[in-house]
Amino acid sequence: MLLHFERLGSWKWVLVGITALTTAFLLLPILFIAALSFGSSQWLIFPPPSWTLRWYREFFADPRWIEAAWTSFKIAALVTVFSVGIGLCASFALVRGRFKGREALKALFLTPMILPVVVLAVALYAFFLRLGLNGTVTGFVIAHLVVALPFSILAITNALEGFDKSIEDAAVLCGASPLEAKFRVTLPAIGHGLFSAAIFSFLTSWDEVVLAIFMASPTLQTLPVRIWTTLRQDLTPVIASASTLLVLFTILLMMLVALVRKGFKS
Amino acid sequence: MTAPFLQIRGIRKDYGKVTAVQDVSLEIRRGEFLTFLGPSGSGKSTTLYILAGFQDPTAGDILLEGRSLLSTPSHLRQIGMVFQRYTLFPHLTVAENIGFPLKVRRKSRAEIDAKVKQMLELVRLEGFEDRRPSEMSGGQQQRVALARALSYDPPVLLMDEPLSALDKKLREEIQHEIRRIHQETEVTILYVTHDQEEALRMSDRIAVFSKGVIDQVGTGSELYAEPATRFVAEFIGDSDFLSCAVVASNGQSADIRLGDDWLVEGVPLHARGGGRNEGALLLRPERVQLHRNQPAATGALPVRVDDLTFLGSNVHVATTTGWGEPVAIRLPFGHDAIDGLSRGDTVWLGFDPRTAHVFC
Repeated sequence: MLLHFERLGSWKWVLVGITALTTAFLLLPILFIAALSFGSSQWLIFPPPSWTLRWYREFFADPRWIEAAWTSFKIAALVTVFSVGIGLCASFALVRGRFKGREALKALFLTPMILPVVVLAVALYAFFLRLGLNGTVTGFVIAHLVVALPFSILAITNALEGFDKSIEDAAVLCGASPLEAKFRVTLPAIGHGLFSAAIFSFLTSWDEVVLAIFMASPTLQTLPVRIWTTLRQDLTPVIASASTLLVLFTILLMMLVALVRKGFKS
Repeated sequence: MTAPFLQIRGIRKDYGKVTAVQDVSLEIRRGEFLTFLGPSGSGKSTTLYILAGFQDPTAGDILLEGRSLLSTPSHLRQIGMVFQRYTLFPHLTVAENIGFPLKVRRKSRAEIDAKVKQMLELVRLEGFEDRRPSEMSGGQQQRVALARALSYDPPVLLMDEPLSALDKKLREEIQHEIRRIHQETEVTILYVTHDQEEALRMSDRIAVFSKGVIDQVGTGSELYAEPATRFVAEFIGDSDFLSCAVVASNGQSADIRLGDDWLVEGVPLHARGGGRNEGALLLRPERVQLHRNQPAATGALPVRVDDLTFLGSNVHVATTTGWGEPVAIRLPFGHDAIDGLSRGDTVWLGFDPRTAHVFC
């Protein structure tokens, strides 16, 4: 390294300052909403006049919030299962397959990542009107699957490309049928990829709001949709506590990821 | 006479318009160590992969103890294989790797444990049971791979350049190990390599592959002393080729003219069709005699000394013929003919026609 941090002298403090500002820029909104969720003011005043757990009690006392959270979880879990399953099959085709247009197909699979979500949402909404899928769990899962799959495919193809096919061949010669070899050797070996795919799929669905607004009905709402609609009706600090819980759950998941990654490495 | 243990019959493999293996036939004895030797793209690995069942031949058959293997899928062929790349299962320990073939065969815990222990002793890795592949060196990993491939007592063990990723010293060490394990287990081994030294050191017989066909099968010394083709002569051992004119031939041997006026009679001839009278004379460096003065009785070829290299027990003399072709000569250290020899000197080459070969 030409630029050695220790040898930068007073420039070092400039870098520290920039890092601190960036961190603050990224973290402050979240800390702000967390602080508000514990504030006693009805009107989301900052800084809060005093502290309370009232909004959390209200959140947990209101079955609509709990139901929304449960719906979110249920949909995210279903999306995770399908996303990893379909992503795994697609990845095998993309990595192991030898057919024309393989690269094009891979690019096509990744387009939902760059397509404006609202365009996708309108298209799916119109399409689902014909099928009667709007406002159903199936509709939600399919819609979220469209945006979750690219992450899943990306994570699994990466892992599979890094896995030497000879290892699977060795398992086959050892007496495992091709399918058994995949389950006993290949899948455990690319476990980190499958795990990443699962986490990203879950999170994609868990905090997705645009598609969810289109898919939701008054009786079927995910947590982000519930936050959104409540925000438009009245500005209760319960929103802040709901948001804080949403963020907290995400942070917990990411910590789990870090822990498991460490486990895969050792 | 009983049927040969393993028979490869007229194997051919086409990839579209490209033929990787043309017409390979071979018979392998039980317990034999046979090496497929050849440059990359010569069809040796393809043949091995057909034996393993990873590829189907376009034509031909493979018989193990008289029964065709082709309709049996890879995982039921009971064949062991060690790959060029490291193929230990990364998420399993050494013991679990070695026990894997037994586990998929639903053997009992006790039986697996006993066999794993025995295999670890065989490859001399006792105490490594609980290691992960990522914690081992390349040489150790290949030894575990060998133990895994042998744990279910396969009748045939295939090895696809298993040592090519290792450095020279380690390679030689493991060559000895494989040789010892072959003798202890009496398993039939088919070994693929492009390294002639490795092939010579380990094999009972060597099949030399070139452009999808086997040029010659034989022991190392047979291939060296009686090469069937120029390719084999070039591939096994050091060799020099001198262009010569074939003056007369009876199909078995030929009279040739070297340079302007040296006529050599009765050189073994390897002709590949065509009645061309242009030939190549094969000389092995240690079979060439070097005379300081023109010998009176026998014919000899005057050459100029370009360089002298002292290599311990041997001295290499690099020379050039009058028409510019190089000839290397190897003489034992202390040989009379080298005493006082220096660059630029003219010496005379001689050889016994019966130990030379002409290819045309």
